[in-house]
Parts: sequence; C-alpha cells; structure tokens
Amino acid sequence: MFSQASHNSRLSAVGPVSGSAEVLAQISELIADLKPDDVDLLKGLHRIQHEFAYIPKEAIPLLAAQLDTTPAIVFGTIDFYSELRQKPPAENVVGWCSGPACLLKGSLNIRRALEATLGCEMNEASADGRYELQLVQCDGTCQLAPLIRSEGRYLGPLSSSEAIKFARRLKGEPEMREPPAAEDEATTEEAGE
Amino acid sequence: MAIYQALRQAAEASWASCERPLKTLIKVNLGTCSLVVGAQETLEAIRASVQAGELDADVMATGCIGLCFAEPLVEVTKPDCPPVLYEQVTAERVPALVKSIASGALANEMALAVAADEPMGDVPPLESLPFRRGQVRRLMANCGVTDPLEIDHYLARGGYEGLDKALRMAPEKVIAEMLESGLWGRGGAAFPTGRKWEFLRMAKRHPKYIICNADEGDPGAFVNRNIMESDPHLLLEGVIIGGFASDADRAFIYIRDEYPVPVARMEKAIEAAYAKGLLGKNILECGFFDFEVEVVRGAGSYVCGDETGLLSSLEDRRGMPKIKPPFPAESGALGQPSNINNVESYANASLILRHGSAWWGSVGTEKNRGTKMFSLSGKVQRVGVLEVPLGTSTRQVVMEMGGGVPDGRTLKAVQSGGPLSGVVPASDVDIPLEPEPYRERGTLLGAGGLVVLDDSDCIVDLCIYFQWFAEDESCGRCTTCFAGTRRALEILKRIASGRGRAADLELLKLLGRIASNANCFHGQGAPTVIASTFRYFEEELMEHVTRKRCPAKRCAGLVRYEVLHQSERLAEAAAICPVAAVVEEDGAYRIDQEICVKCDACREQAPYAIGLVDEFGV
Repeated sequence: MFSQASHNSRLSAVGPVSGSAEVLAQISELIADLKPDDVDLLKGLHRIQHEFAYIPKEAIPLLAAQLDTTPAIVFGTIDFYSELRQKPPAENVVGWCSGPACLLKGSLNIRRALEATLGCEMNEASADGRYELQLVQCDGTCQLAPLIRSEGRYLGPLSSSEAIKFARRLKGEPEMREPPAAEDEATTEEAGE
Repeated sequence: MAIYQALRQAAEASWASCERPLKTLIKVNLGTCSLVVGAQETLEAIRASVQAGELDADVMATGCIGLCFAEPLVEVTKPDCPPVLYEQVTAERVPALVKSIASGALANEMALAVAADEPMGDVPPLESLPFRRGQVRRLMANCGVTDPLEIDHYLARGGYEGLDKALRMAPEKVIAEMLESGLWGRGGAAFPTGRKWEFLRMAKRHPKYIICNADEGDPGAFVNRNIMESDPHLLLEGVIIGGFASDADRAFIYIRDEYPVPVARMEKAIEAAYAKGLLGKNILECGFFDFEVEVVRGAGSYVCGDETGLLSSLEDRRGMPKIKPPFPAESGALGQPSNINNVESYANASLILRHGSAWWGSVGTEKNRGTKMFSLSGKVQRVGVLEVPLGTSTRQVVMEMGGGVPDGRTLKAVQSGGPLSGVVPASDVDIPLEPEPYRERGTLLGAGGLVVLDDSDCIVDLCIYFQWFAEDESCGRCTTCFAGTRRALEILKRIASGRGRAADLELLKLLGRIASNANCFHGQGAPTVIASTFRYFEEELMEHVTRKRCPAKRCAGLVRYEVLHQSERLAEAAAICPVAAVVEEDGAYRIDQEICVKCDACREQAPYAIGLVDEFGV
C-alpha cells in the first residue's frame, strides 16, 4: 500500500515545514533511524512525545517524509490514539480511572467532585491552564478502586471527600471551605455534567 | 541439543542460591499492582537496612504472585525454614519486619502465609489460603517466585526446554502436538491455536510474521500483564516456538501503552534471549532457524486489540480493523502472511512443548483442556490474578477464592469478557468457567477479566459505561458501530435522567439487531450488555423507564441529596461541598438543588443528616 512514488511532492503542497530550527533539528534527530514499512510510526511518535510531552505540529511533515507517507496519514494516526497528545499538558495533570471496578465503587462521584473543584471538564484544562483532568484506562490496579493518579502516584481507594481535599491541596487552598462560603459562587457555574 | 543443556547447566548456580539460600533471602514482589502501592520503596528500605547491617540477607525482586490485595508482598526464606510471605509491607513497616526477622520471629503479625504443608505457629500454609485453594499454577509457576529479569532463573526451572524440544522435531510435529493438546486461543475467540499455526505454515510468501496480541484492552482484565511482568520468557519462548512451527521470520509483541512495566520487562527479556543465542541467527545453533522479535508499543486504542485493528496499527496508520478475507495467514501485517495469538496462548505453547500435550491436557474438561488465568476486580473481597483449570465453577472463583462480595452486600452479577460482553446474574453463578455456558447465556467468557457487581450497583449505569466505552473506542468505519453506539448511549442516558419512554426499549433492541452488520467484533459485540440487561434485569430497566426510579439510586438524574435532619455534622458537609450547595439559612441547612453536582461528599461527612432520595422517598 505504500508502493506509490515518493509523497514528497504532496509535502510541498503543504508549504515549507514551519517551527523553530532547534525543535525541527531535535525532531529530525529523534526519528533519523526510522524506516518506511518497518512498523516505526508509533515508535517515532512515542519518542517525540517522550521528549516534548506532546506531539508538536512540526513533527508531522518530518515524520511523513522520513516514513515515505503523507502528513494526513501521520496526523490521522496521532488523532486516532488517545495516548498521543496534540497539546502540551497542563502543569498539573490528574488522571481519573474510567475502569469498571472504579465505576462500581463510585468513580463518577469522584469525577463530579474533581471537575467541580478543579474547574475543568474531563480531558480539558482549567481556564488558567494550570490543572487538567485526564481520563485514563484501567491498568488493572483495581485493588485501589476507585483511584486517581497524580505525578506518577496512585491514590485510592478514594472517597469523594478525599478527592476534593486532594484537589484543594493541589490548588493551594485549605482542605475545607471556610464558612460562610458565599463568595465562591461565581466559580461554581460550570459544574455538572 | 548440547547447547541448550550447557545453557541450562550454566544457569543452575544462579537459581540454586534462590531456591536453597545459604543465608536469609528476601524477595519483594515488583509488579504493576505492587509498584503503585510502594513496593519499590519497600525494596529500597530493605536494601538500606541490610546495608546498615541490621540483617544479613540477600535481597531480590520478583514478579507478581497474584495476591494483588495483599501488596506490597515480601517473602523471606531463612536457610533452615520454609519461605514466609508478609503482606502489606510498605516502607514504613520495613523496620518492624526487619527487626522481627533478625530476632528470629518469623511468625509475626505481618505474616500472611508460609510456603509449606504445615502451618508455622498461627501462620497458615500458602496453599490453604482461600485465594489459593483450587488454583493450578502452571502459567503462573514462576510468578512471584523467580526474578523476571533473570533469564537464568527461567532456564534453570526448565525454561526454553520446549523450544529445544521443538527444534529437534519437524515443524509439522510441533503443530501436531499443539493440535493434540486442544489448546484454543485464550484471547476470547477460542479458535484452535495449532490450526492457526498450520495456516501460516502453509503460506509460502516470505517474510512471514508472528504477532502477539498483548493489547489487553478489556478494562478489568490484567492476566496478560501478570505474565509479561512476572515471567516474560514464558511468553517469549512460546512466540519463538510459534515462529519455528509456522516458518516465520520475525515477531512483533504488541503491548498497550498503558502497560509500561510489561513493555520494559519484555524488552529486557528479548535482549537477554538474544545474548544467549535463543533469538537471532541460528537459534541454539540448530543450523536452520533464524528469528527476530521486537516489542511494539500501542498508543491507547481499544480496537487495536482486534486482530485486524492490530494489523493496521502495525502498518503505520490509524488502527482501523480491516475487512476479512483476506485472512491474516494470507495477507496480514504489511501485506505479508501473519499469525496473531494472545499472550496466554503463546505462554501455554511453551508448556505444551516442554511437558507434552498429554500432561498439559490432564487438567480442565474434555472439551476445554488446560488452565485459564482470571483477574478478579470490582465488588469482591480479594482483588487479584489466579489460575484455575477450565471448568472450575464461577462461584468457586468469585465467592470462595475471591471471598465474595464485601460489606454484607449480596452478589448481583458477574461481568466477564470485557465491554463487548455481558453479565451473568447471581442465580447462574454456578456455571463452569468455559466458553459454552457463557455463550448460551448470550455473553462471553472472554480473555480473563471477571468484574463482580453487588446489589448496590445499577445495571443501567453499567450499560452506559460500556456503551460510552464502545462509542469512544469505535474506529469510525461502520455507521452501525460509531453511530449505533452513540444512539444507544443517548437513549440510555435519557433513561438514566428520568426521561425514558416506552419506545426506547424497542429502539435499543433494534440497535442491537443492526449492530450485527458491523465489520468487526467491536461493533457487533457492543450491544451485548444491553441484551444481557433485557435478558436478566428487564424489571430493573423497566423501573427506570416507567416509574423513573433507579432501585440502586446510582443514576444521578433520578436522585437528589436532601437534608433530612439538622445536625452539627452539616457544617462539615458545607465545608467539603465543592460548589457550596450546602447552604445555611436562619440556622438551618438545605441543599441547593440548582448547583448540587451530586458528588456524595456531603453525605460522606454527614451520613445521618443527608440522604439520597428520589420521588419515592429515602
């Protein structure tokens, strides 16, 4: 299926590869040993994401040229896989396990609690860009259900209250709201599913 | 071949010091399940206290023994004593453990079991633990016993003997042995593994590829993870045997990205196998077999666990399942003849070749021979991984080994086989763990995940989760799948929010029928859980639709939180609420329904004062 002539002509239709010379050089070096038709695209994407914490746009035409394919196929691949990021992660990423053991043990309550406390929906960042909730798949650490992950650590089994306290600590706020709690109302509008 | 015997002999010494240690040997289980509860820190703390001279001992890491609920697990063997297992040894508890071992008190309060026939004081024999009673550990024989990164441990315990034997047989004989064993694919489809190898053998076009599906994407299933991180060579040996039998050139072990520990350990295992001449050119100096193996990391796509989705993923593009035919044996990865099997299938192949098909088939049932690994999770006392003969009753595994449902609840159903499968109700929990009885009930035994539901769980909630999962992971090729699952999800959410209508039930059934037109099993299997619901829990579903009532009070749209009694605890409830919905007016608290997000935190703080109510009361 990759037997067509080189796709470089299509590349030029996208225009010159943009991005800082330094980033481009870095990416080129990361993917220099990859070959077409050798099960290398995911390998390349993992290396780039490992380096940058996401896949910079600049990588797409470079990978396409290296693997003798089209930018569309490379972009389609990035878009297809949920572990590949197209945007840099927020400062603090909180992983919320979506698995069935967590579900049965109340993970939806934790999700609602975290969305409300961090001020962001699932797979989005808060308005100030500091916090992000990320939906993660079950990796079989179900003895901790319901669990969340933060900075490589697993927290569980977690109650909603504990999740809220965790999120407030992350934001540098006191764990418990000060009574009377009227002044917070403006920030609570986006809550809810 | 003399070369294998030489390798094995050279390996003996390394293992002998672990099997019959001359001084105290401490093993720390390092698997995904223990690492997340601090096993690495435990290992370091033990090493530090040995270095500080508090204890004269050797320290080593092993894989996961399967008792995930008791991690971090530490095993201590004194030269004159049987090994003793200690549970929940976090780094903070290491000083106490070290002190007690140094003083000779092996049977302390952290002791879980002793690996002997007789108890040691109050400490019961390992095999007498409910979780272990009934297990037949063949695939898991090395799990938690050897160091998964030490190829010598594997070799000394009979590893690669199956490969050595295979290389001295004609490939056709290897396939005959596989067919004789009756091993069927452990990934869920239950097709005879030997037949698949035969198909690839018949293909003449080279290069030919062997592919190991280690994408274990079913949420709640973690049996393949256990093999890869605890005994990676068992899988690798099977892959090499498969390569030899089917005349293949190269293998890809496709592991999901969510499994960093298995990825690292498989890569290390492959490296070690190359160094010993078990991979590469002229394997075991047989003079006729070259084979290459590499690990491919997925990137978070469930359909890449579908046979042809995985093939697409290997071809440097979106992992969309393909249309069959052509079958992989004709045109698989990169258009070349390929064979795909599950991790557990290859691991079993190592044992079949090592011990022979007669030994292998001596457990299980007539139709379903051998053992099967299962992972237990959800509403069960003991979460973990176990291995039992096929045909063992579901009740024995869930209620006895797993310890049943905790907190005085009762069993509602067992969900097996992942999100494209359904449930078996508590009334049928006696059925044997075999494909047929599950299939008869419109569901799948699947790859090994068993998720347990209790009477506080809502079947509509589970359906919503699985439809969401199926919709989210649909590759987008077939309308019946990507749009069908989305419609089903919308309908279910409508029902869960209290706006369900009688016609919705017919629509769900219609979507279930249409789904059979999807190309791959992802779309075809997606409505299974809904069909299961109609079959076993129709009354509960109807309750949601007709009376707008969720009997389990799990559907957020059908319940609300109310202050039932004024109490001092309500101040805490107000302080925890993330949206300030617990409001005080004139000395009395109430919950502002407009802004409440229904996270349950207030009720955790004030369980007596706040209740979960619906239109029918508390």
